[in-house]
Amino acid sequence: MASMLDHSTGGQTVGYSFSQSAAAPVKQHGFYPYTDNGGSTLGITGSDFAILAGDTRSTSGYNINSRMVPKVFKIGGDEETGEGAHIILSVVGFAADGNALKERLDSVVKMYKYQHGKPMSVSACAQRLSTILYGKRFFPYYVTAILAGLDEEGKGALYSYDPVGSYEREQCRAAGAAASLIMPFLDNQVNFKNQYIPGSGEGHALQAKKAEPLPQDHVKQLVRDAFTSAVERHIEVGDHLQMLIATKDGIEEVFHPLKKD
Amino acid sequence: MVAPHGVTGMLGEDGIHVDMQHLKSGEVNLGTSIMAINFKDGVILGADSRTTTGAYIANRVTDKLTQVHDTIWCCRSGSAADTQAVADIVSYHLNMYGVTNNEAPSTQVAASLFQELCYENKDALSAGIIIAGYDPRHGGQVYSIPLGGSLHKQSFAIGGSGSTYIYGYTDAHWREQMTEQEGIDFVRSALQEAIKWDGSSGGVIRLVVLTKKGAVRHLYLPDNGYTGPGVTN
Amino acid sequence: MPGFDFSNFNRNAALHARGVPLPKATSTGTTIVGCVYDNGVVIAADTRATSGPIVADKNCEKLHYIAPKIWCAGAGTAADTEFTTALISSNVELHSLSTGRDPRVITCMTMLKQHLFRYQGHIGAYLVVAGVDPTGVGLYTVHAHGSTDKLPYVTMGSGSLAAMSVFESMWQPDLDKEGAVTLCAEAIKAGIFNDLGSGSNVDVCVIEKDKPTNLMRNYEKPNERGLKERNYRFPRGTTAWLNQKIISKEDMKKYVTIETLSGDDNLAEKMEVDS
Repeated sequence: MASMLDHSTGGQTVGYSFSQSAAAPVKQHGFYPYTDNGGSTLGITGSDFAILAGDTRSTSGYNINSRMVPKVFKIGGDEETGEGAHIILSVVGFAADGNALKERLDSVVKMYKYQHGKPMSVSACAQRLSTILYGKRFFPYYVTAILAGLDEEGKGALYSYDPVGSYEREQCRAAGAAASLIMPFLDNQVNFKNQYIPGSGEGHALQAKKAEPLPQDHVKQLVRDAFTSAVERHIEVGDHLQMLIATKDGIEEVFHPLKKD
Repeated sequence: MVAPHGVTGMLGEDGIHVDMQHLKSGEVNLGTSIMAINFKDGVILGADSRTTTGAYIANRVTDKLTQVHDTIWCCRSGSAADTQAVADIVSYHLNMYGVTNNEAPSTQVAASLFQELCYENKDALSAGIIIAGYDPRHGGQVYSIPLGGSLHKQSFAIGGSGSTYIYGYTDAHWREQMTEQEGIDFVRSALQEAIKWDGSSGGVIRLVVLTKKGAVRHLYLPDNGYTGPGVTN
Repeated sequence: MPGFDFSNFNRNAALHARGVPLPKATSTGTTIVGCVYDNGVVIAADTRATSGPIVADKNCEKLHYIAPKIWCAGAGTAADTEFTTALISSNVELHSLSTGRDPRVITCMTMLKQHLFRYQGHIGAYLVVAGVDPTGVGLYTVHAHGSTDKLPYVTMGSGSLAAMSVFESMWQPDLDKEGAVTLCAEAIKAGIFNDLGSGSNVDVCVIEKDKPTNLMRNYEKPNERGLKERNYRFPRGTTAWLNQKIISKEDMKKYVTIETLSGDDNLAEKMEVDS
């Protein structure tokens, strides 16, 4: 197989070439279409609710573009108020792509309702979002998205994505700049990773603490603690915390102040 | 700058011409308008006052006219660090010359010292310097040392990024043996024009007049169209 | 042998050429300022140290001692500002002892610029030097490549633009001590809130003629951490273990000598920890 490639050297491999290389590399004008706008998001589900949260700071380099740019959106609701929506989406990474993605998913969910006469299920919306992301496989939306709502059984549902559409249903997920700071905290406090029941056994027989859905108040406290802590150690996270909580009664929106340094 | 191994970062595309304007990243630059002229009774040095790091003005009232002996001064352009270091070294040597010989050094001696440093260290320096001085034997003299380290004795010299805009102006208006006031007006209007067109030049105009009476500083502010206040010492 | 050790240079250059990234230095992406007033000079700094986008230290000290009445604020590579100021402080003290005179600000500035110029910008120290000496009040900036500026008010670091906007709109030529301190604190706060490289608290140092220098550590604390809503103390036994071995003090004494110190807690400096 190798002989097909090195035709000029008669099968011998050499580490140099006599062919005339260009005297100077041609200078190319470069345009990089992406910017990282920082910030972080996280999502946690419970037995009858799903929460998506994100800070509202938008950055570029060491500068703050704005202290109030929401990263969490209601999908498929009223244009102005978001009323009637039952799906929520968070996007973090490149804000312009995030906005474009939100707009596209929003119109898809609306068109579904107009054409089928019933609201789109969260699982269907999750599959559609994956398709939209993969549609730009070679010029991706530079975002990590999290989609959430209630599934057909009324349980909290949460789907997390990579920029080109690979997705998975999970209990909880942190994304964005401070994901590496928040995710281990969530593993420990939501899925009780590395936590064992004291005195339940000796050595390998020690019982691991079982994960179970947490009550809404408890989850809200975890979210707020996760963000106030991320603000302490990550410079791109701050200003305000935005939370959207999806329940059978609709979507509630809450804001909390965060440190502004 | 962290130079990658085995890469000729300073050479141009043809491998011969060296990029003299190259500055180490983040280095403080005197993107300048400077000049010095001869007139009837001595010399006049002039400069703008802008120092930049990239697009940021690090100092808007810089003094680019540096004394290296009683009546030998220089105008600095290029890297602030390099030109300050060179001027400090020359100043040291001229002062040593002055006390050991009990006689002030001539302008030519000063210019030669500058040239020695600029030529021998041309690969490490980005410094464009104009030297002007008055000594009783030769009267006023102006020397220019551009980037490579060559030395040119001239009746007047202009330098820095802003000078490109005033070659025509200075050629059209230059006269030998001007009076002091005519000289001041010439330098001030030329620099005003350079500041107007060059984005890297700006702030106030500083002048130094060197005659047998010594050094006299002048200051001209943009607030009143560079008309005053004038003499400041 | 004095000076830097370059014995790893070739190895590191080879590693770097093979794509091993350089280790990340803690940089004080900083706001530092200085301002003169009628009878002295004030310098101030924020207290955030960063490593990339991560906060490495929430309350670090960027105001460095050089001489009793000469202090220095440092931005750039943390280690470089630390060691450069310590070296010059040492040399200034020896110089002062040998001349029998109080050290001058311009002497420190000249020593700093000559040291930094020699290293052609590889020592990443950006400094504000301030103090009072027999010739009067002095305030200078020194850049890593060795250039210096002398101005009545100065700013440096990543937050220098935010801080300078405060000076350029509020500075007056006839400030008193209180006015200068307030103005400097305002300038630092502009950096803290508008520059991501700067944050946490404001440190201020006032150097006045005929008065002892006043270092006001954490002069303002505009960014106190909010209380955590939950308690994250784990019950004893939460962490799994497979094996335990207890070594008693008596066993230890077979190998080392043990001396118990008197239990005065205030003797040692307390470590700062979040609740």
